[in-house]
Amino acid sequence: MPQSLSPLSVPYRVLQRGSGIAVALAFGLGGGFEIPGLGPAGPIVLLLVAGLAALGLIAYETAYVRRFSYELTADTLDIDSGVFSRRSREIPLRRIQNVDISRNVIQRVLGIAVVSFETAGGGDTEAQLRFVSFEEAKRLQRELPRLKRQAERTGEEGEATEAAERGAVEPELEELFALDRSELAILGALSVDPRVPGVLFVLVSTVGSTIVPAYLTTVRGTTLVGVAAAVLVGVAVVSWIVGAVAAIVEYYDFRLVRSGDELQYERGLLQRYDGSIPFDKIQTLTIADNPLKRHFGYATLYIETAGYAPGGSSGGGSRGSEAAIPLAKRQHVLTLVEELEPLGDVDFQRPPTRARRRYLVRYLLVVGVFAAVLYAARSLLPVSFPLWPLLLLVPAAAGFAHATWKHRGHWLGDQHVVTRNGVLQRETKIVPYYRIQTVIDSRTVFQRRLGLATVTVDTAGSLSLGGQDAAAVDVSGERADELRAELEARLGRAVDAYRAGRAGIGVDEAADATSNGSVSGSSAEGGPDDSGAPDESGSTDA
Amino acid sequence: MNRLHPRVRLLWVARAVLTAAILGGVALAVQRILAPPWLPGWTPIGVFVGFGALGVVVALARYRVWRYEVREDSLYLERGVLTRVRTVVPFVRVQHVDTARSPIERVVGLASTVVYTAGSRGADVSIPGLAPDDADDLRERLKRLAIRSEGEDAV
Repeated sequence: MPQSLSPLSVPYRVLQRGSGIAVALAFGLGGGFEIPGLGPAGPIVLLLVAGLAALGLIAYETAYVRRFSYELTADTLDIDSGVFSRRSREIPLRRIQNVDISRNVIQRVLGIAVVSFETAGGGDTEAQLRFVSFEEAKRLQRELPRLKRQAERTGEEGEATEAAERGAVEPELEELFALDRSELAILGALSVDPRVPGVLFVLVSTVGSTIVPAYLTTVRGTTLVGVAAAVLVGVAVVSWIVGAVAAIVEYYDFRLVRSGDELQYERGLLQRYDGSIPFDKIQTLTIADNPLKRHFGYATLYIETAGYAPGGSSGGGSRGSEAAIPLAKRQHVLTLVEELEPLGDVDFQRPPTRARRRYLVRYLLVVGVFAAVLYAARSLLPVSFPLWPLLLLVPAAAGFAHATWKHRGHWLGDQHVVTRNGVLQRETKIVPYYRIQTVIDSRTVFQRRLGLATVTVDTAGSLSLGGQDAAAVDVSGERADELRAELEARLGRAVDAYRAGRAGIGVDEAADATSNGSVSGSSAEGGPDDSGAPDESGSTDA
Repeated sequence: MNRLHPRVRLLWVARAVLTAAILGGVALAVQRILAPPWLPGWTPIGVFVGFGALGVVVALARYRVWRYEVREDSLYLERGVLTRVRTVVPFVRVQHVDTARSPIERVVGLASTVVYTAGSRGADVSIPGLAPDDADDLRERLKRLAIRSEGEDAV
């Protein structure tokens, strides 16, 4: 039976659309705006027009809500919508990647919510229900995996009855992770918003464009260095505060729950998000940390599906996919990863040491360019400052080159390829062989000179749009040839295994029992032995 | 390993010359209209010859490097002059295959085949400069192989 949107969505939609117009009107009236030829009657006419527009808006939104209907059938989600041009959609349930519910403060007071259904196609949310009651939203989120399971069962009649019975019972909820107050505080303390310096720079360059040069000409060299240091510290503090506030607002009261074969999360202080990620849609897991987090033993985990994640482009801050765990003790993150994708012991193979030389040259070039810019500035501007502090950057560059090399690596496991890159923002990416789309081996001129190559593993994940695919960077040329062939072969084997119904993808109890004997859920200590991994070596071909 | 149709060089060289001609034209316009005194008189010619030569060299080098191979389970491409790129596209991951012929390609009598995957760089995989029959053949062959190795897709 088709269902319709919540009646409360009419006033909310009207207010949402109308508020912008109302603000514009208020400005027009308040500013003594006069329509020529109407004289003193102008404001009255304007009010009349506004009233008519409001009526029209109410009529349109009422019609929209009344003409919008959706229905969850046995294997599709049907949506009919549109006032003037009608649109009917049927979305196969098994194509739905995740279901997300979001509510801002007003919506929470009214008890309504936005439900977004994500599919892999396109870069946009496939279907949105604006708005249904929160209970209805939860019901949809609950019902969808149940119907999906049912459809699968009818689809594969020959499936073992044990699995069928498992699907029939209501899935038990298991809390995997909850962010408590102290962790939230630490998360805030460790979050630095990298965009703040840019914004501040724009502000200063527009607002303070006259003050800054005037000031620069009055002060002397040593004071200038002090002022520059103070400004740097100030910018750092502001970015830190903004990052902390954003992180706390975003991840307040974060909870991650496992429900059957889905992950469900809730988070947010002002805008509340409530989403589900089916295990069998997971494309990539990313463990991210920075030097601070590493020092205190924390890490972040991102779970990536092929769907488009809420708040990705418009919400700002998050990077396309939702952080499954914004911050947790590293051990905790690894335990969860082990539960989602049984990895075993990861033993990274670092790039050959000649890659380190490459990084040193690269960072020294950066220092050189910086020095040249400063030198030019000193000779062109009427200020003088010493250049010798730049020499301090040389050992820093050397250290950073070593760190870049040290943190880089790749590893081929039983079911996954794992890569690690980055120092300040280190990302460990875990890609199941089964999720590989293409394997790309690229060698720039400079890499070819040193006999190095970068092997990128492309997946259908949404996070990778920013060009951050899992990549084994600067491996030796022979290793790259080997990796290309090996990854292709292992994808083939994973696909065969999947067809045979014993894939090691996601959490699937039946699969785990047969494939590699690793027990999901309790593999925190003593992970599965990786004796089956045909090739991994901690050695570097120095 | 297959190479592209030799006539694709014609296409690429023509494109390089055209680009150089446009840049030369811009230089000519700048010289005529703005006439900066520091610009020597032979600039437009220089721009045309310089960029033309560079473009032609790159086009020829690109042809020399380009290779593709339809393997048992995957499509393998090798290309790139400055950055050498080798791509492996497993047939299980092929979503669909296109043959495209732009007007210029039609004049030269060539076609290109584009292979789409669900990956975030999906449309990157295209093979330019095939004889139309070869392109159709390749498309059919890829289609058959992709269907044969059909599996549950990864998304």
